[in-house]
Amino acid sequence: MIDVDGVTCRYGGGSGDEACVTAVDDATLSVPDGEFLVVAGANGSGKTTLVRTFNGLVTPDAGTVSVNGTPVESDLVAARTAVGMVFQDPRDQLVAATVGADVAFGPENLGLAHDEIDRRVAAALDAVNMAGRGDDRIASLSGGERERVAIAGALAMEPDHLVLDEPFTGLDEPARRSVVDRLRDRHRAGTSVVVVTHDLRDVLGLADRVVGLADGRVAVDAAPEAAVADLPGLDVRVPAGATGDRPDETVASDP
Amino acid sequence: MTLSYAPGDSLAHRLDPRSKLLAQAGFAAAAYAYTTPRGLAALTLLAVGFLRLAGGDLRDVWTYRFALPVLALAPLVAGATLGAPWFRPDRAATTGLASYRVLLILIVAAGYVRSTPVRDSRAALQRTVPGRAGQFLGVGVALVFRFLPLLKRDLLTAREAIRARGGDALPVRDRIRLVAVAGINRAFGRADRLGTALNARCFAWNPTLPRLALGRTDAVALGVGVGLFAAALVAVP
Repeated sequence: MIDVDGVTCRYGGGSGDEACVTAVDDATLSVPDGEFLVVAGANGSGKTTLVRTFNGLVTPDAGTVSVNGTPVESDLVAARTAVGMVFQDPRDQLVAATVGADVAFGPENLGLAHDEIDRRVAAALDAVNMAGRGDDRIASLSGGERERVAIAGALAMEPDHLVLDEPFTGLDEPARRSVVDRLRDRHRAGTSVVVVTHDLRDVLGLADRVVGLADGRVAVDAAPEAAVADLPGLDVRVPAGATGDRPDETVASDP
Repeated sequence: MTLSYAPGDSLAHRLDPRSKLLAQAGFAAAAYAYTTPRGLAALTLLAVGFLRLAGGDLRDVWTYRFALPVLALAPLVAGATLGAPWFRPDRAATTGLASYRVLLILIVAAGYVRSTPVRDSRAALQRTVPGRAGQFLGVGVALVFRFLPLLKRDLLTAREAIRARGGDALPVRDRIRLVAVAGINRAFGRADRLGTALNARCFAWNPTLPRLALGRTDAVALGVGVGLFAAALVAVP
């Protein structure tokens, strides 16, 4: 369980004439184990900042975040192990030259035994349909493959919660469907999944709940059926005919 | 390009990084001991041989083209004098040979980098240098060799963006300024994003290091390294 209680995050304001921007404003929400949560909002609404507080990549100016009952700031390694994070641009996340070395990077940092690292790397690559491609160069991969390697890198930490920041940006339709399939598999396997997006066409069919942000505030927190009516007002794209209808393959059915 | 590891199955790829480091250090020692054209010619063959054993070629040397102007300028600066005769060829020749030695060492380093994953280099250092000093060196290597390829890619992207908007028509000085400013901005941004990525993935001072094992072929590489060191010692007056 991730608990966010009254979190406020501000940027800037360091020097005299620099304006202070409130990216997240008194946000409160929780992510129960096993839930598929979509965090939706327009560009600049505070989505990325909010989810980065989940594992201590951003420290709130006010409020608290705890993961599995432990405050994030008291045990960052535990928080970052429990909350796997996939960045918006996988190129920012991939730190090794080859697929296998990159996926192994996190488990190595946890000090695990070699056999366990090997097992986790194989399982993570298998989970994203990249089995047997451990020696491939990252530089030679397509955008969709990089996204899947980034997800594998997070999965290799065996997190309780998987957070993906705009995972469909720049992907073509087959790649988007592939990522959606992987997320569905993880969710069915019991991992809670948090997807940050401004476009719900790919994930509305998977969501248990939708949180909508506007100017850093939680404006919507409801089941998908109830949330879709309010989301277009937040400049969030929803699939055509989504109200009262939750297609499983919104990417395939929606042009 | 050899600012990063290139997966492969060459002889150098199969060697333990420790034996490659020793051979590389031996080569550097020999390069500084044998400064005659004849000695450097022999070392040139050896350097090219090292690179070929790592599956590299001339394109890898081209990666270091940014260093070439400095290496070429050094003899000119060394030979210049403030008064007559204005230029001393003997001084320029000595410095030119020194520059050439640096180029040879870069060629050997190119072979090492393209055949050795970053984490193997880190493991080799941490196992060779005990304690916190080894950890510090290992982290340094891990960060530098993760950062450099990303930075190089960012600089190339900045240059392409400038070209795409007609930047080719600008004077060289303006182009250099634009790429430098964009490059510095991107370097800071890249460093920030890399730091965030490493934090998110629990970057540790003392992670599980990959398995390293010295094999039969390593005996040859170690022998070459020791031999080069011995040759360097013999040459010292």
